[in-house]
Amino acid sequence: MSTETKPDIDIDRSVGDFRYEMDYAFDAGVGLTEATIDYISDVKGDPDWVRAFRKEGYRKFLEKPMPTHWATKDLESIVFENIRYYLSQGQIPKRTWDEVPDDIKRTFERLGIPEQERKFLSGVEAQFDSEAAYSNIKAAVGEQGVIFVGSSEGLKEHPEIFKKWFGKVIPSGDNKFSALNSAVFSGGSFIYVPPGVKVKHPLQAYFRINAQNFGQFERTLIIVDEGAELTYMEGCTAPKFETATLHSAVVELVAMKGAKIQYITVQNWSSNVFNLVTKRGIAHEDAEVKWIDCNIGSRLTMKYPGVVMKGKGARGEVVSIALAGDGQHQDTGAKMIHAADNTTSNIISKSISLGTGRSTYRGMVHVPKHLKGCKNNTECDALLINTNSRTDTYPAISVRGQGNAVQHEASVSQISSEQIFYMQQRGLSEAAAMSLAVNGFVNDLVQQFPMEYSVELKRLIDLEMEGSVG
Amino acid sequence: MSITTTSPAETGNSTNWPEWFRKDQNEAWDLYESLPMPKRNDEPWRFANLKALDLSEFQPAKPVEDKAVLIARSSGLADLAAKLVFANDALIHREVAGLPAGVLLLPLEQAATEHEELFRKHFMSTEARLGSKKFAALHRARLRSGAFVHVPRGVVIERPIEIWHWVEGENATIFPHTLIVLGEGASVTVIDRFVSSRDERSLAIAVNDLTVGTNAKLHYVGVQEWSDKATAFHINTTEVERDALSTALQMNLGGAYVRGESDSHLLGEGSRSVMLSINPANGTREIDQRTFQDHFSPRATSDLLYHNALADSSKTIFAGLIKVEEAAHETDAYQKVRNLMLSDEAEANSMPGLEILADNVRCTHGATSGELNEDELFYMMARGIAPKQAAQLIVRGFFGAVLEHLENRDLQDHLGEILDHKLNL
Amino acid sequence: MSAHSSSSLSIRDLHASIGDKPILKGLTLDIPKGEVHAIMGKNGAGKSTLAKIMAGHPDYTVTSGDVLLDGESILGLEPDVRARLGLFLAFQYPMEIPGVTIANFIRAALQARLPEGEELEATDYYAKLYAKMDALSVPRNFTSRSVNEGFSGGEKKRCEILQMAMLEPSYAVLDETDSGLDIDALKIVSAGVNALRGPNIGMLVITHYQRLLDYIVPDKVHVMSEGSIIHSGDKDLALKLEAQGYDWVEKEFGESDTKAA
Repeated sequence: MSTETKPDIDIDRSVGDFRYEMDYAFDAGVGLTEATIDYISDVKGDPDWVRAFRKEGYRKFLEKPMPTHWATKDLESIVFENIRYYLSQGQIPKRTWDEVPDDIKRTFERLGIPEQERKFLSGVEAQFDSEAAYSNIKAAVGEQGVIFVGSSEGLKEHPEIFKKWFGKVIPSGDNKFSALNSAVFSGGSFIYVPPGVKVKHPLQAYFRINAQNFGQFERTLIIVDEGAELTYMEGCTAPKFETATLHSAVVELVAMKGAKIQYITVQNWSSNVFNLVTKRGIAHEDAEVKWIDCNIGSRLTMKYPGVVMKGKGARGEVVSIALAGDGQHQDTGAKMIHAADNTTSNIISKSISLGTGRSTYRGMVHVPKHLKGCKNNTECDALLINTNSRTDTYPAISVRGQGNAVQHEASVSQISSEQIFYMQQRGLSEAAAMSLAVNGFVNDLVQQFPMEYSVELKRLIDLEMEGSVG
Repeated sequence: MSITTTSPAETGNSTNWPEWFRKDQNEAWDLYESLPMPKRNDEPWRFANLKALDLSEFQPAKPVEDKAVLIARSSGLADLAAKLVFANDALIHREVAGLPAGVLLLPLEQAATEHEELFRKHFMSTEARLGSKKFAALHRARLRSGAFVHVPRGVVIERPIEIWHWVEGENATIFPHTLIVLGEGASVTVIDRFVSSRDERSLAIAVNDLTVGTNAKLHYVGVQEWSDKATAFHINTTEVERDALSTALQMNLGGAYVRGESDSHLLGEGSRSVMLSINPANGTREIDQRTFQDHFSPRATSDLLYHNALADSSKTIFAGLIKVEEAAHETDAYQKVRNLMLSDEAEANSMPGLEILADNVRCTHGATSGELNEDELFYMMARGIAPKQAAQLIVRGFFGAVLEHLENRDLQDHLGEILDHKLNL
Repeated sequence: MSAHSSSSLSIRDLHASIGDKPILKGLTLDIPKGEVHAIMGKNGAGKSTLAKIMAGHPDYTVTSGDVLLDGESILGLEPDVRARLGLFLAFQYPMEIPGVTIANFIRAALQARLPEGEELEATDYYAKLYAKMDALSVPRNFTSRSVNEGFSGGEKKRCEILQMAMLEPSYAVLDETDSGLDIDALKIVSAGVNALRGPNIGMLVITHYQRLLDYIVPDKVHVMSEGSIIHSGDKDLALKLEAQGYDWVEKEFGESDTKAA
């Protein structure tokens, strides 16, 4: 079986690998100072409390050290002074597709948004270089009272809904990157689903990074009220550049009593992007927050979706697939904090390391004293494909008291040469055999993604496998 | 005269040691002083109660008054090849029923004098890398005696060797040391017994280094029965050469704060290390164990099984890393930790870890925390066994499952008896 | 006296080793289409090795000789290329492939044989699959089970024959297909194999026990010892081996050259 790998593997990035020379009406320059913050707030017309929130975030960002005592030293390659923190065309969110400027339309057309629009989306808010350039809330959604707007609009127009939870699920000081996001956030989705409303079609947004050294700092806050349900999908691409690009998003989810939130991400950033995301959900009584995450791209992804199970009977789940190709490091995991009786959490993580790729799982499960009836099940499996790949697993499980059951199982395996020989004997080429086995490995997780994603995922995995078999 | 502030030179190094060793000790003391104390966000000390690391009240141990009583109390297995008894770091008894020719069973200072080359090669030759570097340096600086076991090439010692380490005196400190070196094809079973003579506060910083040569076989058991007020460190490094087997069991039956570090280096192809531990934790005991299964060569196997039963407000920490280095293809490595939670106030922390850099590797690790099985309890009660006894039987069975991994039936029974005594069965 | 080389699987004076150790030491054999040949021999004779080498297993090295499929040498060809040329190996120890369902696996194997761009027709495929599964008493819900995962010995062997039935090879090598089977499973598997016999397929049945050959009656029987064929005969040879063991063959024919069929 071949173990040679091609350097610099690209999966199908041709769709995202392009950029247009755009003329940016507002440009905050490089580097980050308090003046940059003021500039951003001025341009957006932020209310005073938001400007203050940003400045507080900036202060915390300066205070906090880089977490290199436990995370990879590669973080040190990020040069904060060289990054542009805000860039937009000065566009306010659009209502119909026709009103969108042509050059931006071109970008979105290549990403296939109009097609998506035809399918089963209820509304699309597409982010282009930090500012929502297009948003369309269909009548049906509007009538149900669902609010689906950008972060600026959400905070300005609906503070009575969003201010309550904004920055509460993930406080600015949570980590260095959530602090940075609190300072310079722009774009992202703010969604509110009223009680009892079950949104049938998944809501979706796209993100792109265009222009050298530009960072993406979108901020998403989703509040689903009692008994309501929502599925949200996030998929992103970015063109490739010489110098590092930073994506540091914050996603806060709040599921009120009996509510259900499913948040699906397919991350396919170019191999020069640092993707450092903080994601957390609060599940109240009998509510459920489920993160479905697939990480295929980026140079380094650090992402540990978490759920705080605050009310009795709450449920948290993280389903994660990570594929680390040559030169990539997928450092992912989950955080489950049990804060009430009879709460259940489930983590299932499958990772594949190819070539010189490295995948790391970091988990935390916390069950404090005096809680009863809590259950956690964690399964984390790693598949290694070539000799140079690397996989690490670092879970931390803290259980107190009786009446709680926690189980963690992890395994590392590889596709054996005997398995490949068996499949080849049936007529499958070596590459096809590898693809089949790898897809088999992640199959039960891929099934949890909506249809069009699962097809795209399989295709992405096949392409990645093709590149790795010599 | 605190052991943490008074240097060994001031307290007077033991004159039984050669000059060069005493110099090493002074250097070790300097190292000890220069290293910082563990801090809260040091990964190797995560979840640990750092207050227990304040050792300033402990003093060097004085020679014991009544040696005969302790010698009489050092009664373990009936059928032994040899027995050594140390009390407050001094050898007070040595008896040999029968050892094959060539076997060295000596106090360390004698080995250092008479077998300098061998001693230097193996004495603390690897760094304590699981977090206790500072405490290992303190141990080296203040060491006064210990056991040296060398089994030469091809020699098989059928009956076990037992080594007793007693501590006596309020706030006394001892630094037990067991150094075992097996030549090619050699075989031996060694049992270390650590005991507090009275219900007193004391400190022990124990180091054991096990070197298992090509094709050799070592069975090592460490049983600690420190008083409920004691603080103890048990720092181990095990090196296993080609096709050799090391089976090590640590039973922690006492202590207020116990820190165990077990570091297995699977150096040779086909080497095998089995790491076992039994921890009945009760009262406010904290048992903190850090392990490392480090695979350097291909086709080696490591298998770790640790069982903790937590009652009252006890606390356990387990952090175990399996690392498979680049050349270690076809590694089989397993790690399983089970926590049986017996009370509302108990706390179990588990951090099983994996770092895999090689190919063709089979590794699994698992950690479970749960309570007594209701069906099992009901079944026993339906047979007329009272709930408390039923729980004890289940706990005993829980630990028995670990003992079963020892090949020697007699040893299993003997340790089972010690365990029963502890669990009041 | 050999079969038509253009429609047979021919092994010519094959020498092969694993690492430094020689296993096959000059093996010659012709399996024409339309015939069923059996190879019997003691453990260690090299029977399974022969099967794996024919299929192209990477652990083995051919040091001299040749293997020809319909007149063309297949040595040096990748295992999947040989498979697509019409060679099928029913493994003695079939591999488990977690997460890959039987339905998807067989479909992928069939799809691999179609020209670029052509898609396998789903309804036809499933109709055929179910029919073959019924004939082999494999429950239909096995289509969604992972290949061989958690299967009993008998289930694994039936799964091998199912794949053979679906892939319709020109030459099939059955490596100890009877090992681990009880009498009922043996009957089902044999019936499945017999249903595939015909003028368009040549089969080589490798077995340790004669019992299988009561059900899959061979046209010719070969005895293998120490890496080569030392004696051949018809189906009665198998019965004689059953009754008298292998020693007499080795004594009589062991040192002599390989005899032609």
